[in-house]
Amino acid sequence: MAAAAPSVFLLMVNGQVESAQFPEYDDLYCKYCFVYGQDWAPTAGLEEGISQITSKSQDARRALVWNFPIDVTFKSTNPYGCSDEVGEAQPETLSSDCLRRAEPGDWGSAVWPLNGSPPSITAVLPPVPSPLLLLQDPALSQGIPHGLTPALSFEGPQIVLSVYGPDVFGNDVVRGYGAVHVPLSPGRHKKTIPMFVPESTSKLQKFTSWFMGRRPEYTDPKVVAQGEGREVTRVRSQGFVTLLFNVVTKDMRKLGYDTGPPDTQGVSGPSPPQGLPR
Amino acid sequence: MAEVHVIGQIMGATGFSESSLLCKWGVHTGAAWKLLSGVREGQTQVDTPQIGDMAYWSHPIDLHFATKGLQGWPRLHLQVWSQDSFGRCQLAGYGFCHVPSSPGTHQLDCPTWRPLGSWREQLARAFVGGGPQLLHGDAIYSGADRYRLHTTSGGTVHLELSLLLRHFDRYGVEC
Repeated sequence: MAAAAPSVFLLMVNGQVESAQFPEYDDLYCKYCFVYGQDWAPTAGLEEGISQITSKSQDARRALVWNFPIDVTFKSTNPYGCSDEVGEAQPETLSSDCLRRAEPGDWGSAVWPLNGSPPSITAVLPPVPSPLLLLQDPALSQGIPHGLTPALSFEGPQIVLSVYGPDVFGNDVVRGYGAVHVPLSPGRHKKTIPMFVPESTSKLQKFTSWFMGRRPEYTDPKVVAQGEGREVTRVRSQGFVTLLFNVVTKDMRKLGYDTGPPDTQGVSGPSPPQGLPR
Repeated sequence: MAEVHVIGQIMGATGFSESSLLCKWGVHTGAAWKLLSGVREGQTQVDTPQIGDMAYWSHPIDLHFATKGLQGWPRLHLQVWSQDSFGRCQLAGYGFCHVPSSPGTHQLDCPTWRPLGSWREQLARAFVGGGPQLLHGDAIYSGADRYRLHTTSGGTVHLELSLLLRHFDRYGVEC
């Protein structure tokens, strides 16, 4: 064994929230935040930010440009240390009640973790609409309810974006949520992510929320980064946001990780439909 | 033990005749593989696209496997369903794809199919909805009894997965 083998690795991410394409909306601003599991800790840079308000350009492109900088460095606190004793050791990095040893083929069972799930979410499983939706009660939107913490199921850090804009009456309403994993391979990556909003469950609710300016939104945008609880939500995808990342890692190779060929001009993600400015 | 991290998203789906789609997904592995963290199966949200015809889910997948052997490389199996305004779900397609075996980021397009049934069942599906479904989900990712099925094709599911391999070179495995 090497005398001074590193025990943590660093992930340095810089880049920008470049632009957005929302054909039906204008005057938008975005908020970003990073969501990460127990194994990661930010050591430098900003975890959250709010951009300026941007309007569509007057030329044919009709582009919404933010050019909003992102700069953060993550440190892994515990490497996924399961090299030789996987069978016996519980991975220290994740609480055991979030691991689900499901057998393939049991589609009928609920997809919630069997125990340890956040109490406020299990309390309102179907048939009522998703607990993550704030339906027209503004009192609920004051801060984040204590019980509603994201379940510990995500590992790699993700960036969660929320885009807001004014509606016809001047209220600030949400125009889209989106999330994407921060790339773990060094190099330049361009990601275009779709943005979606939760939908009202009935036509009357839709009209009332349009009229009152209180649209359905998530109480904590970080739930967009996780997969659990999504099966009861109905959403509408209505735009795209383009992000640019430059990633530098330190000591990942020494710890045995192989991240694949370096990506010097990585462009990934779905391309918007024809006719929209790129 | 070698380790594999699968980090990515089920981006969305195109080519289905219905809108308002959702996807149930799961990962099946061989006996030598052990899931260390992550959720092995899930269900995405229901998306109704406003722009274009691609339904976007952006459902995160974050799995960490440890393995003692190469057999049984993980396979991702998908069921795409459509939901109508009454809340009823109808099968739109089954599909599966292997998790890529080389490290890096990959764009995957997974084609789907659905069982056809007799001409009566097809007529009923067009008017009333419903239609035949598989009784056992493992026919989606195994070839064992497929010869009994008569199917038609559905749309395509798009995924973006990044693979991170660890300690494979210790065992002499080249990926």
